Order: sequence, then structure tokens, then C-alpha cells
Amino acid sequence: MLADLAHGIAGFFSVVSVGTALLGLLAGIVIGALPGLTATMTIAVLTPFTFFMETAVALPFLLGVYKGAIYGGSIPAILINTPGTAAAAATTMDGHALAKQGRARHALEMSLYGSVIGDMLATLVLIAVTAPLAAIAIKFSSPEFTILFLFALTMIASVSGGSILKGLIAAAAGALIGCIGLDPMSGYQRFTFGIPDMSGGIALVPVLIGMFAISEVLIQSEKKVLRAVSAVTDGRGTPLPWAEMKRAMPAILRSSAIGTFLGALPGLGAEIACWVAYGDAKRRSKAPALYGKGSLEGVAAAETGNNATVPATLIPMLVFGIPGDTVTAILLGAFMAQGLLPGPLLFQQHGDVIYGLFGLLLLTNLLLLVFGLGAIRFIRHVVLIPHSILLPCVTVFCFAGAFAVSQSLFDVLVMLLGGFAGYAMRKTAVPIPPFVIALLLASPLENALRQSLLFSADGAWIFVTRPIAAGLLALFALSIGLVAWRALAGRHRKSSIVATT
Amino acid sequence: MLTKLPNRACRALLTAGLLCATIGAASAADFPDKPIRLVIPYPPGGASSLHGGVIATSAEPYFGQPMIPLIRHGGGGIAGASYVLQQPADGYTLLFGDVTINLLRPLVEKDIPFKIDDFEPIGRITLDPMVFVASPKAPFKTMKEMVAFATKNPDKLVYSSDNVNGWTYVAFKALMHKTGTKMRGIDFGGGGPAVANVLGGNTMAYAGAPAVVGEHVKGGALIALCTAGKARASTLPDVPTCTETGYDVMWQVWLGVLAKKGTPEPVLAKLRDGFGKLVTDKGLKALIARITSEIKYVGADAWKKELDEEKKSLMAIYALTQ
Repeated sequence: MLADLAHGIAGFFSVVSVGTALLGLLAGIVIGALPGLTATMTIAVLTPFTFFMETAVALPFLLGVYKGAIYGGSIPAILINTPGTAAAAATTMDGHALAKQGRARHALEMSLYGSVIGDMLATLVLIAVTAPLAAIAIKFSSPEFTILFLFALTMIASVSGGSILKGLIAAAAGALIGCIGLDPMSGYQRFTFGIPDMSGGIALVPVLIGMFAISEVLIQSEKKVLRAVSAVTDGRGTPLPWAEMKRAMPAILRSSAIGTFLGALPGLGAEIACWVAYGDAKRRSKAPALYGKGSLEGVAAAETGNNATVPATLIPMLVFGIPGDTVTAILLGAFMAQGLLPGPLLFQQHGDVIYGLFGLLLLTNLLLLVFGLGAIRFIRHVVLIPHSILLPCVTVFCFAGAFAVSQSLFDVLVMLLGGFAGYAMRKTAVPIPPFVIALLLASPLENALRQSLLFSADGAWIFVTRPIAAGLLALFALSIGLVAWRALAGRHRKSSIVATT
Repeated sequence: MLTKLPNRACRALLTAGLLCATIGAASAADFPDKPIRLVIPYPPGGASSLHGGVIATSAEPYFGQPMIPLIRHGGGGIAGASYVLQQPADGYTLLFGDVTINLLRPLVEKDIPFKIDDFEPIGRITLDPMVFVASPKAPFKTMKEMVAFATKNPDKLVYSSDNVNGWTYVAFKALMHKTGTKMRGIDFGGGGPAVANVLGGNTMAYAGAPAVVGEHVKGGALIALCTAGKARASTLPDVPTCTETGYDVMWQVWLGVLAKKGTPEPVLAKLRDGFGKLVTDKGLKALIARITSEIKYVGADAWKKELDEEKKSLMAIYALTQ
């Protein structure tokens, strides 16, 4: 394998291949930063053009777009509270809070470092243990996914803010909206009220744009402030202190592992990984109270988690030829067009090309770091734009973005309704993230649960009779138990302090 | 001067608007002047997404515009098909349909939100027999052994299925009918997730298109039991037909391109012409061969006749699934 790696890198590294990878990366960042434009659509548009390119040019370019887009989504999330991609939704939680405190640069840099480290570690995993990891990932079926989705659902507790009750109300609403559309198994229409546009379900991205961005515009319009932060505080924006980086390091490492693991499972992508990483980081944090109010650790966790899924989604695609999501499905076409048929034989027949590609992925990571730092010097000034100019611009972006997803005016309506709902929720202190998480998970969880019960000859026992499912269930119970025990211990300590005084 | 400016601006806007209107009117002649979307109504990794990806990749030279594969899965193909019908009938959004979503399901299910005639055939691309496969971990290696196992252990044989009246669903229902056995199918919504589950050893068997199982059969990750065609599949010549193994199951499935009904005739003609030429493309043929498949193109007119005739044979197969 090392020989393959060395040989591949030698064959792959040229000014042209590195240059196109960089071009893809930059294009990806811009696309990711524009809400509504997705990596999937961009890669789908660009793939036919790579047909006639050399392998060493075509694939690095497309993978660059993919990576860049997932990172780029965090930029508007931080600066204007608009997740550029669904994978950056968790980043808005703390990223924008930091920007409002005049620490946009810290948040942007943390997001960049997190993304690069997460991507780097996941790529190393990809190089070292692709085949064994894929062999484990493919053993996961509906029962295991059911437990994972349930686990992801418990992240609602971490993002509910002050009131669990309000969090649960928001989650229930999200799950209800998530049920709209076709029954995932039989195709019956549910809650569509005969409206054709609703039969496909409520699209996630317009809801996200409305809930986060439009509600923010409405909230900001109420205030008389001129701009998000004063020119004085941001003008001096200092680079991210090393101490902060060190403090976030455990969260970054854990989020890398979470992102890599979830990405390797077909069907679980960056959109879910960002919330799981964020929720997990908060649970383990020494300063959980800061989450949602401007925690750099929170930004790092969300952004590391989503970027770590990118190389990992290639694992089931390359080893079994089974793409887990729509992006890898299109990448699969691009690989095949290059004569690289993903599947069990790929590593034996084209080991040098694949390892060369992996090597190049590592290099583009370093380039992302350099260019990201350069770009941050300029884009952080967005927060200095007066509100009278910025808010109308954001609104226009929201409309364009919601429309761009699938060129549907219905999506624009969804975005607007989501915006007003989000505004009402913020006014009544009902947290938005539980709504988003439930909306995201409702349909896949239902699907996985129903499949599991079909699988099972004896009902819910399937969740304990399958070894991996049982293991996950035990881990799940342990983690909840730990949280409960900590909470109880904390209360006990508090009450004992009260007792002694 | 200042007062005239808005007036002039108005005139400029008006001119621009009129220009746009003429562009709109000329669109049938200029078709296509923007990318064409090929809607894939099943999850990634199945026959629809594999073929759709390859076709979209090679299509550009024949249409002068890129073709974008757009995966919209859900409800066993209904979400994707309905999506196409919600778009304007301008030829820019095409359905990569198949024998179940465009023919069988609207024929036999009452709740399908569209009719067969809501789509206009462009061209059939493939026609493949279903291939029955088993996981190497399953307690059977041949069709005979599988049926023997299912007879001895009713409801114990768990197979990967797709969706009600889907390709795999019909294949196994027909087999069960012919053999009088009971097996349990898990609906995974499409070939991608279904084959992943048989590869992972979560289910024992599956039936899918050669494109989905071929590579895994060649690599030894799956055991091919039989193909449900009249003759052996040219893409998998070593695999016996089901009839050869003693079980008379015949189930061939096609994939084809369809447009929304009401698409202007000149646009349809251009699409039919484009696809007719595209399927002769050497690069496309090589790519299709690489995914263990082959093109069996039939142009719109001949295909329409076939579709009418196929209704009868489909009803016969459907009777077996009841």
C-alpha cells in the first residue's frame, strides 16, 4: 500500500492537477457560501465536462468542489446566520453569536481549522483502513440505523436551550412537518391536502434558509443599531489565539471520529453529522453553558463533524460501488467515466491512481488552509456592512437561494413561512435546532424502524439479537445513563452545598 | 434631462422585457438552450442511478447542452415521477422511468397520482432480465437449494426487496407463487440499499438488474442463481436462466426516457433524435458495458407499440404476485 501511495503520488502530482484541484476548491467554497446552490447540483453540472479530461485532472477537481462546498457553507452561517448548505446549520448556533460579539474572525478561523483537521484525519483513515472500515459499515442495516437515528434525535436535548419542554414542542412540530409527503415505503400521500407540490415533502434547505436567515432579518429589523458590530472591535480582529485552539482540540478530535464514522455509513451524511458532533461536544464540554451563546468549541465541533464526512462518504462508494448519498452517486459516474469502476477490484487494479488521489486530497487540504486564511481577511468585513444595506441583500439571497434549490416557487413560499415561524419561535424562546433535527430525522427514522420490524421475526427483539445493534444500544444507554448520572450528581452537589450553608 | 431619465429607463426595461418574451417564444426552435435534467426516481446505487449517471455523462455532444442527473427518490418512484409532472412540459425535465413506475404500478394500483398516458415516450434504453443472487453466507448456493430451504423453513428466508410492485418485489412474489414457498422481503426502496444489505450479509438473497449485481457476482461477493429471461443474459453468459434451473420465472425490466405529456412536438422530435444518436456513442457503450449492462434501444414509435402489448404480459405477471 505504501508503495502504491508513493507511486500514485508521483504519478498524480503535477502543476495542472494541483491547480485544477485548487480551482475546484475555490469554486466549491463560493457555491457552498451561496445558500441554495448545492455541491450535488454543481458536481452534477460539472461531471460531463470531466469526461474528456485526464483522471489526474478530473477527479481532483470534482472532489475539490465537494470539499470546498461543505466548508464554504459555514461562512454565511457565521456572518449572516444563513447556513450556506444544510450541513452548516449547526454552525449558525455559535458562529453567528460570535460574529455579533465582534469575533467573526475567530469563528471563521476556528471553522477553517476544524474543517481542515477533520478532513485531514478522515482522509488518513481513508488511506489506512478503507477496506476494513467499509466491511464494518456494510454490516449496518435498518436496525442499526434505527438506533443511530434515535441517538441523533437525543441531540435535541443538547440544543434545546433553557427549556426541554419547548425543545420537545419544536421537535414534535419538526417531525410532523417531516411526515408530509409520500409514505417512504408504500408511497401513500400523507398530509399533502391534495397539493401536488407537497407530495414530494417539504424540502430541507428552504426551511433552513427561512428559519435561520429570514427570522434573523426580521429580528434585526426591529432594532435601531446600524450594524452587527462596531467598526472598532472588528477592525482590530485578532487571529484566533492558540489557547482557544488548544481548548477546542478534544472536541475537534472527537468530531473528526464522529464525522468519519457517520460518513462511512451509506445514507448518513454531513447534514446529520454536524448536529451529532455539536451535541456530543456540548455534552462533554467543560463550558456547556457557552453553547448557543458563542462557543468556539461549538463552531469547531460542527464544522469538523461535517467536513470529516466528506472523505468518509467515499469509503462505501469506492469499496462496494454503493454510493450513500446523491453526491457520491454522481461522483460514481465520474469515476466510471475515468475507467475506474468502484468495487472490490478497484484497489487491486488501480491502486496507484486511488492512492495518488488520496495523496492529492491531503494536499488540497493544506491549500484550503492557506486560501481560507487569505479569504477570511476580506470576508470577515461583511459584518461591518450597515444593516440598511446588508439586510435587504440577505433577503434577496434568501429568495434566490430558496428558488435555486429546485426552481420552484413553492419552495420560496416554504422559505417565507419558515421565516415567520422561525421569528415567532425566537420571540417565544422556542429553540429552532430541535425543529430542524426532527425534520431531518423523522423520515429516515420511520423508514429504518419499519424496515427493522419487517426484518424481525419477533418484533422489537431484533434490536438486541443483532450483535452490532445490541452493541450500539448498549453504548446509547451508557451515554444517556452517564448524562443522567452527571445531572443527578450535579443536583446532589448543589443541594448538599445548600444544605451546608 | 433628469426628468427624462426614468422615462428612458422605463423604455429600456420594456425593450428588455420584449426581448425576453421573444426569446421565450423562440424556445422550441432553440431547444435546448439550458441544461436538461434527467430525473432518477430511485435511491443512489440502483440500476436507475447507475445508468442515469452514465447516460448523463455522455449526453452533452448530442444535445449541445449538459444533462444533469437529478435523484429524487421516495415512494417507490412516485416522488420522482410526480416531480417531472409538476415541471413545465418543455422537455427540460425528463423522467428516467422504468417498467414498474411507468406501466405496472399505474396499471394495477389505484392510489398512483398519475396515469400511464401522462408521459410521452422518448426512447427505451435497456431491457434486462432480473438476476437472482444469494449472499455467500446464505445456506444455499443454487436455485434448487434456495427453494428447498424456503420450503423447509417458511418465512425464514429474508431477501432484500425494493418496494411494492417494484422489480425485486415482483421477481420474488412470482417465484414464491410458482414454488408455493413463503419468503420474507424487506423493502429498501431501491436497488442501491437493497444490494448493500445482501452484500453486508443482512439478507440472504436479492434479485436485481445485471448492472447492480454483475460486478459483485464477478468479484465473488454474491452468488448468481439464475436469470429471469428467455435466454441467458449476454452480460452474464455463465449464469443459467431460471427455466434451466427448473423454475419458470420470466421477468424482464426496461429503463427508458419519458417526457411530460404536452411537450411540444418539435422538442420531442429533438429529444428523440438526440437519444437515438446518443445510444450509438462508442464511449457510452463502453461505459455501459463496464457496468455489466448493454443498450437495447427502441425508438419512440416502436416502443409505444411495445408498451401497449406489454400491458397484457404485465397483468399475467401481476397475477402471480397476488
